[in-house]
Amino acid sequence: MSAVATPTPDRSPSFLTSALRGLQALFLWATLPLYLRRWTLLPALTGVGIMALLVGAVLAAPREVIEGDVQRLMYLHVPSASVGTYMSFFIAAAASVAYLVSRDLRWDAVARSAATVGVMFTVVTLATGAIWGKPIWGVYWTWDARLTATLVLLLIYTAYLLARSVAGPNDEQAARYAAIFAVIGILDIPLIHFSVNWWRTLHPQQIVIRPDPALPGEMLLVLLISAMAISFLMLWLIALRSESEQLIQRTDRMRARLDQREPA
Amino acid sequence: MAVLRKDLQLAWRDRSGWLSAFAFAAVSLLVYSFAFDLVATDVRPLLPGVLWTTFLFVGIFANGQSFQRESDAGTFDAMLVAPVSPATIYLGKVLTNLVSLFLIELALLVLATMLFDTALLTAELVLVVAIGTTGYVSLTTLLSTLGSRARARAVLLPVLALPLLVPLLIAGVRASGGALGEPVGSAPWLLLLVVFAMWSTVGGALLFPLAVER
Repeated sequence: MSAVATPTPDRSPSFLTSALRGLQALFLWATLPLYLRRWTLLPALTGVGIMALLVGAVLAAPREVIEGDVQRLMYLHVPSASVGTYMSFFIAAAASVAYLVSRDLRWDAVARSAATVGVMFTVVTLATGAIWGKPIWGVYWTWDARLTATLVLLLIYTAYLLARSVAGPNDEQAARYAAIFAVIGILDIPLIHFSVNWWRTLHPQQIVIRPDPALPGEMLLVLLISAMAISFLMLWLIALRSESEQLIQRTDRMRARLDQREPA
Repeated sequence: MAVLRKDLQLAWRDRSGWLSAFAFAAVSLLVYSFAFDLVATDVRPLLPGVLWTTFLFVGIFANGQSFQRESDAGTFDAMLVAPVSPATIYLGKVLTNLVSLFLIELALLVLATMLFDTALLTAELVLVVAIGTTGYVSLTTLLSTLGSRARARAVLLPVLALPLLVPLLIAGVRASGGALGEPVGSAPWLLLLVVFAMWSTVGGALLFPLAVER
């Protein structure tokens, strides 16, 4: 609980981190049109990206001096958290708003699949974090502000999926309720953020600060590649999942129509 | 406001429901004191947590009930076709639940004062409890409308409500600890409670019409 890991080999200015964030944001906007090419361009890009992630993280990136090979988890952990988790929950909330406005059940399918993918990435984030945390911090879990906020987010969207799954795929009322819940959930995030931050950082207790790595160039490059790969993967998974959800909705509607047509 | 009067009247007629909610709260307070041996040690560090978990559980329990009765009797649908705005219906419900739960909480504070020999009925603590209750009642009232048709609502409501209420729980426990003279750091907990109460009331009033449309 005491070890505060410092990033090595050299401490570059935080300019690099903000550059990474900016590039990431730019990249995410660029991926939105990509979604339109989801059956042709996206699978190929996802495959190449994931291979590049694996090669980059396992072979190309330099071995971290202090933390050792376990640090390579960062290339999966950081993009899963920043892109996978937050972007897909944002997409889920945006699709929920779109459903509430348009009342088109296809948006409900998109929201549900984005929430599912988000939950998956959150679990990946927490799992890789725990595996990294044990040798570096000495504990799998600590009630650090960011960890706590991620956990609460996971609980909210698991509840969303639970609430949505008690009713059938074409149940408009359940879809509306779930959409409202998703909207409340995303609006709750700032409050959760403030509360856990004050809870942990201003509270008179031992604090474990998550190193915000100011990374050297090669590591940054690999991280950037893996952020791209994870975004492709996220979009691809959401596309596949929402397509299958929409097919389920259609078969469900067809079945209902058939039942109506049959003589009683 | 006729809506408020009708809701309060309903709540009064439904005394047994609210009394059982209070009984539940009192019993859970006893359970806590056995579980943590609250009599033997200095209770002050633990007490805010014990009180707030009890408040939240009893609040969710009672809120789930209050909509159940009305939708069973069909009066809820009658209210919706009446010429009042849904936001008014929502606020009437919130105020009624707020009054009932606040009374339960005051009684609970009196009980805890006697049980744990700690002066709990201070103005500061009552203020904290009142603001916090506003925050969670308006959220759980909205969520219990969401759940009021789904199957397995009894299980679903706490699962939906509690993660959203994490900020309120943290702020409430810290603010109450501060009111009891515990070291709670310098964060503006009371402000967070106020913001949460406003957030949930405004959000609830805006989303309630969407939730109840047929």
